Amino acid sequence: MTQMAQANDQRKKQALHTPIVGPDYGSKWLADFREAAVNLFNRIGYPKADDEQWRFINLSPITQTAFQPVVEPGAVPPAELARFSLADRGFYELVFVDGLFSPALSSSRGLVGLIEFHNFKDAVGGHSERIGRYLGHELPTISNGFAALNAAGFADGMFLYLPAGVAVDKPIHILWITTAHRRPVVVFPRLLINACSQSQATVMQTFASLNSDHPVLTNAATEVISGRDSQLELIAVEREAPQAFHITNQAIHVHAGANVQTLAFNSGALLVRNNLNVHLAEPFAQATINGLTISSGNQRVDNHTTLDHASENCPSHELYKTLLAGSAAGVFRGKILVRPDAQKTDSKQTSKTMLLSDQAVMNSQPQLEIYANDVKCTHGSTTGPIDDEQLFYLQSRGVSEVQARSLLTYAFAGDVLNRVLNPAAREYLSQLTSDCLHQLHIDAVGS
Amino acid sequence: MALLEVKNLHAKVLGREILKGVDLTINPGEVHAIMGPNGSGKSTLASVLAGRENYEVTDGTALFNGKDILDLSPDERACEGLFLAFQYPVEIPGVSTSYFLKAAVNAIRKYRGEPELDAMDFLKLIKEKMKLLEMDQSFMNRSINEGFSGGEKKRNEIFQMTVLDPQLCILDETDSGLDIDALKIVSQGVNALRNSTRGILLVTHYQRLLNYIVPDFVHVLRDGKIIKSGDKSLALELEAKGYGWLENAA
Repeated sequence: MTQMAQANDQRKKQALHTPIVGPDYGSKWLADFREAAVNLFNRIGYPKADDEQWRFINLSPITQTAFQPVVEPGAVPPAELARFSLADRGFYELVFVDGLFSPALSSSRGLVGLIEFHNFKDAVGGHSERIGRYLGHELPTISNGFAALNAAGFADGMFLYLPAGVAVDKPIHILWITTAHRRPVVVFPRLLINACSQSQATVMQTFASLNSDHPVLTNAATEVISGRDSQLELIAVEREAPQAFHITNQAIHVHAGANVQTLAFNSGALLVRNNLNVHLAEPFAQATINGLTISSGNQRVDNHTTLDHASENCPSHELYKTLLAGSAAGVFRGKILVRPDAQKTDSKQTSKTMLLSDQAVMNSQPQLEIYANDVKCTHGSTTGPIDDEQLFYLQSRGVSEVQARSLLTYAFAGDVLNRVLNPAAREYLSQLTSDCLHQLHIDAVGS
Repeated sequence: MALLEVKNLHAKVLGREILKGVDLTINPGEVHAIMGPNGSGKSTLASVLAGRENYEVTDGTALFNGKDILDLSPDERACEGLFLAFQYPVEIPGVSTSYFLKAAVNAIRKYRGEPELDAMDFLKLIKEKMKLLEMDQSFMNRSINEGFSGGEKKRNEIFQMTVLDPQLCILDETDSGLDIDALKIVSQGVNALRNSTRGILLVTHYQRLLNYIVPDFVHVLRDGKIIKSGDKSLALELEAKGYGWLENAA
């Protein structure tokens, strides 16, 4: 290699590892926030291959691709918007295109006056200051390179402020949609929720990307503060394009008596990594965290969760279900951390996987760290194929193999769907699951 | 034409030959009982006819209404009009009985070129049949066999059979695990299905069931072959003398 080639190579490497820095919109706190994130990334970099938390995932397709930020948001064809929009299903809807808020595509009538919502880019004065006060408070608990890159690079984001005692009448849908570009692009969706005491809401995020010849990297971050006795249902639906990479970091701080329920639904993208950290900070805080993954082909889906019991008398439930077809590979790693003060913790973790082909693989690992002595923690994990006897039973009554497989896989997914609290969300997710599974079985039988 | 004509049927399970040349003809309207000691191949015969996986037919034929069914999938056999009532009905959590049964009814109707039933017609059909088997309405909303007692599971099998209206009913050890009251209800359900066009094949270890469902023919299966056939009196003779009696006779 000549000196010049070496220098070029060096520059390229450097470019790949230089964080993208988003605009500060003239606000001092944001400039400082970005700078701290850049410094953090420069110190820690991308997760290393020998990092125990990341060893099942090959990040090189991400770290070796020169993803560019979107300069000008693209157009969303109406038919594509309709595929992902839930406005007709009775949701409030806030749409972001290529990372930037699009008031024109959003349907927020009725939400104004009920709660406060501000996109970061257009928030000014006191609103901006308030965002600055909360942003990044929760997420350092999962300090990893991707969270730092999101903090340095987000172009826009959404802040939801639920005033005390407000129950939002309809679910709120935040749709992040990435359009097709002529080069690999990265977007940094960011959501911040501050739910004051006794407020109630269902918030669903959809991460969607339109089919493109070039990969998309979605590097998302969500921070939630669930105030005293509040009730939040937080749903993340990943419906990315087949070439997409999808990395999320989500941190939730649960105050006394608050009840938080989450669902991570994954059906798209080539590679998915979800990090979820729930901090049960005060007595009687509750969390129910659920996951449903439907993967096929060469998809890789990696769900990492931490239930951090930091206070006494907190119950937590976790149910992650994974359906893998083709050569798909899944990882579930669920950590339950019970700190010394968290007496009377009651935590139950379940991970179940159905393998629909001989090539599909699952790696499921519970991880219990318990430092208190009066606690109840259980965990269970099962992985197996469709039950042949059940399949034969259904077929022996005349039901075709495709339909029988659909019924059995849907039943497998069913107990996660049944846990969804909001009826409109449950109905939508049930339909989505049913569609995904049907496609999966048609592909399997056809091949 | 015979409803079912089995000739020289040989079958292996996990490499071991279980059926070693079974011949059996069932005509429309007939009730046949196959009896035999444990391990004689009774349940294997039922499973092979219904198309259970891992049962390898190595020789012989099975014609159903003149059509070779051995190459058909289990669902195609069901659509042709064959029904197997399981010895151990499997529990399927998360799949409601009503949803499943409606899918089954309509799959069969579609196969026969009949219009599918809508929700109303389906409900009417099942209500009528439930009455016959003294079943509670709530059962339709429960997951298939989930948490059912042994008796409830068997009753559910017969209920499904009456709803699907098959031409040939194969009942695999339906009497096992039933108390006398459940046995009566189940038998009543089966007897109600007897008519001049339907065939019934009862696979049983004990004569007791045959007091309630009286067969036209009784066959004794031993070591994968039918070694003796007769009328219902054969069953009584077996009950009195045991299978050892035939072993000496054979």
